[in-house]
Amino acid sequence: MAPAIDIEGLTKDYKVGFWRPRPYRALDGLTLQVTPGEVFGFLGPNGAGKTTTLKLLLQLVFPTAGRAEILGRPVGDLEARRRIGYLPENPYFYDNLSAEELLQYFGSLFGYSSSDRRARASRLLDRVGLGAERRMQLRKYSKGMIQRVGIAQALLNDPEVLFLDEPMSGLDPLGRRDIRALILELRDRGTTVFFSSHILSDAEALCSRVAIVAGGRLATMGRLAEMAGYELRGWEVVVTGLGADAAARLAARGIRATAVSEGRYALELPKDARPESVVSDLAASGASLVSVAPLHTTLEEIFVQHVAKTSSARQGAL
Amino acid sequence: MSLRTIQHIALAVFRESVRDRVLYNLVGFALLVIGTSYLIGQISAGEDVKIIKDLGLAAMSIFGVFIAIFIGIGLVSKEVERRSIYSLIAKPVRRSELVAGKFAGLVLTIAINLAVMAAVWYGVLGLMALVEPESFKKAWEAPATDPRMLIAVYLIFVQLAVVVALATFFSTFAGPMLSAVFTFALYVAGHFSADLKHFDVVVGNSPVRYITGALYYLLPNMAMFDVKNAVVHGQPVPFGYVITATLYGATFSLALIVASVWIFSRRDFK
Amino acid sequence: MRLAALICTGLAASISFQTARDRWYPEIASPVDELYFTNGAAVGRMALSYRSLLADIYWIRAVQYFGSTRIEARNRGAGDRSSGSSGYDLLYPLLDVTTSLDPSFNIAYRFGSIFLAEEYPMGPGRPEDAIKLLDKGFAANPHKWQYLYDKAFVYSWAIHDSAQAAHWFNEAAKVPGSPEWMPGMAAFMLEQGGDRRSARLMWRQIHDSAEHEYVRDNAAFHLAQLDAADAANELTALVHRYEAETGSRLTSFDPLVARGILPGAPADADGAPFVIDSATGRVDLDKRSRYYPLPQFPDTPAQGAPSR
Repeated sequence: MAPAIDIEGLTKDYKVGFWRPRPYRALDGLTLQVTPGEVFGFLGPNGAGKTTTLKLLLQLVFPTAGRAEILGRPVGDLEARRRIGYLPENPYFYDNLSAEELLQYFGSLFGYSSSDRRARASRLLDRVGLGAERRMQLRKYSKGMIQRVGIAQALLNDPEVLFLDEPMSGLDPLGRRDIRALILELRDRGTTVFFSSHILSDAEALCSRVAIVAGGRLATMGRLAEMAGYELRGWEVVVTGLGADAAARLAARGIRATAVSEGRYALELPKDARPESVVSDLAASGASLVSVAPLHTTLEEIFVQHVAKTSSARQGAL
Repeated sequence: MSLRTIQHIALAVFRESVRDRVLYNLVGFALLVIGTSYLIGQISAGEDVKIIKDLGLAAMSIFGVFIAIFIGIGLVSKEVERRSIYSLIAKPVRRSELVAGKFAGLVLTIAINLAVMAAVWYGVLGLMALVEPESFKKAWEAPATDPRMLIAVYLIFVQLAVVVALATFFSTFAGPMLSAVFTFALYVAGHFSADLKHFDVVVGNSPVRYITGALYYLLPNMAMFDVKNAVVHGQPVPFGYVITATLYGATFSLALIVASVWIFSRRDFK
Repeated sequence: MRLAALICTGLAASISFQTARDRWYPEIASPVDELYFTNGAAVGRMALSYRSLLADIYWIRAVQYFGSTRIEARNRGAGDRSSGSSGYDLLYPLLDVTTSLDPSFNIAYRFGSIFLAEEYPMGPGRPEDAIKLLDKGFAANPHKWQYLYDKAFVYSWAIHDSAQAAHWFNEAAKVPGSPEWMPGMAAFMLEQGGDRRSARLMWRQIHDSAEHEYVRDNAAFHLAQLDAADAANELTALVHRYEAETGSRLTSFDPLVARGILPGAPADADGAPFVIDSATGRVDLDKRSRYYPLPQFPDTPAQGAPSR
């Protein structure tokens, strides 16, 4: 299947400095592909080139080298733009228009009839929870409300590919939960989601694949489960009713039991231990199972690892 | 370029700017000036109609320029600075359509504002015509509500369209403050362009003559659109003149917009 | 509430201080009227395309300046011709700038020239400036016969040169659109010379064709002045005859009234009395009269009756 997003050798140099501009390489030879229908996380520290990549994909800036295609068409193609949606970071719209008017305006740019525009605007504003404030002028909106408007306008044309730059910024925990649900819903419908974020827990929860960029270069990419370092390092089993002799037996096997609350214990099993046998043993001894969960290296640790590697490489180069 | 798209953008620009507080204050102030010109006429020792006409035309012109610059800059330069342009660029809209749409919307805004101001102005003049005793009306060189004055208003509009084109042009590459300064500077300099033409008399045969000659043609000739004195005194303005001035304004603006499109289509939005 | 009261008190206090200052220190209070730019062309440059409006502003300044200077001059010393025209120094420059900014500013030429020619304290008494202004006006507006007419008027009434006056009336008649009575004025001027009758005729013309109220009022004023001058002449003749007949000096008109020669104590249009100069026997208006001093004409009896 043709990739939804196809990037090859994408490079961007900026000229920095007024009197004698020196080139600053914001993005260096990025190559990656996003398959249709996946939720792709594009992660990295500040200044890593995440926003630059998004801007290149939306033709806000022009590449110095390399190429990119969206839905098989070159970046900037009008037809392609009909089928994508974009939520910029910290979006800003027009002070004096209302959310409804903004969406209808954008709808007109897609060529929708006025009744169609109205229907879409209405539906989307309800979907993002701004139904009550639809007629209020945008300058009166809070940051979180603007973010929701941004999401609404990104979904106006039922896009096949959705670009999100820090979609959770400005939202309270309820809002973040809503957006997570929205992204999963879109995934279920087959929309490709390319989202750039700092928030690793969101990436862990939503993405099928991630890429980590640092210093303008791609540090690592792949399915979380397959990524170097993202391995299973053990299990956590929570039980109640653990008897003293059962605990002693566990200790002998090298399994540590920690009391988490009254009568409840968390057992940390090493990687090679088989949780099923431990659980059945405990059940036999009269304990009850509360939960079994795998323990991974966190994405944060991998992230820091790769970023540190890249920045030290940069330091070395300098 | 799709005309429909440009239309939609122009309407959005119009709607956005018509609700802008700065615009309201400027227009309100202009109307206030026109309204109180009635009182000022009382101290001018018999020249009250002339004062109202002069003040009205001057107010429309000055406030028109300020509106053109501030709203114009606000709508392109500020938009780029505040990054509201990002979501717009991602839509199936060509950059050329964006520029053309912004320009059209601004020109529409200017036209409406000018129409409102002119209406109030004619209202005050009509009041004057009602109130003034017949004996003094005989002394008027032209009737108070002389429709020929609309020629001056129309040429002010063409002039403002050129100013808007200038503002749009500078906005494509400079920030709001710089664009405003450049636009205003060219507006002022454009009034002296006639002097440049006569520079060759002063300068003689030196190569400076070519520079000043070139400048004369490059600078927008603002004085060309000023027929205020003529219409206030009831002197006729030839139709040919109006046509020539309109064509000049239209082509100059077109050149500026084409240049704007060229710059805008190639720039990075950092 | 207290804040509002405080603000009101502050305002009231500042207003009272200002009034007090204006009353006690009027000389210091009135600012020197500076005309920073006397070059009309330069001002026109800076006006960009707002010349007409700026012309209006200068016009308003000229009118205000003229009005206030006139009041001041009257108060200071009516009839004191020796103090000269220093109070009106800015009038011509103001009018010059006004007409440079707007060369079609009709009333500036007409008003300007009349009042420039007015003798002190009514005006600066500078007929040569008036002529200059009218020449400028006619050069810019060659269809305006009125400016040539005004020029003739200035020659006649202020400069007392009836030959020139007649010449310019003729020139005015040559301009297409000039009224039919224009050649008649020329003829009259040549015939009669610069006497009070021609003055009366011209002021009447101005009064009847006046396009603005104050121009008309000004002409009416002059006509009333002429009436008073005529009356003064006749009264002087009466006084001399009486004195010649009776051999006694008159100091008031009562004996004449008693004798029935006069219906009552003579007064001007406002009711200000005529007085007899006890030294010369000449009758003149009381110094406090609005029409004082009366215009002098070549045929005004000057010093005393022949018999004294």
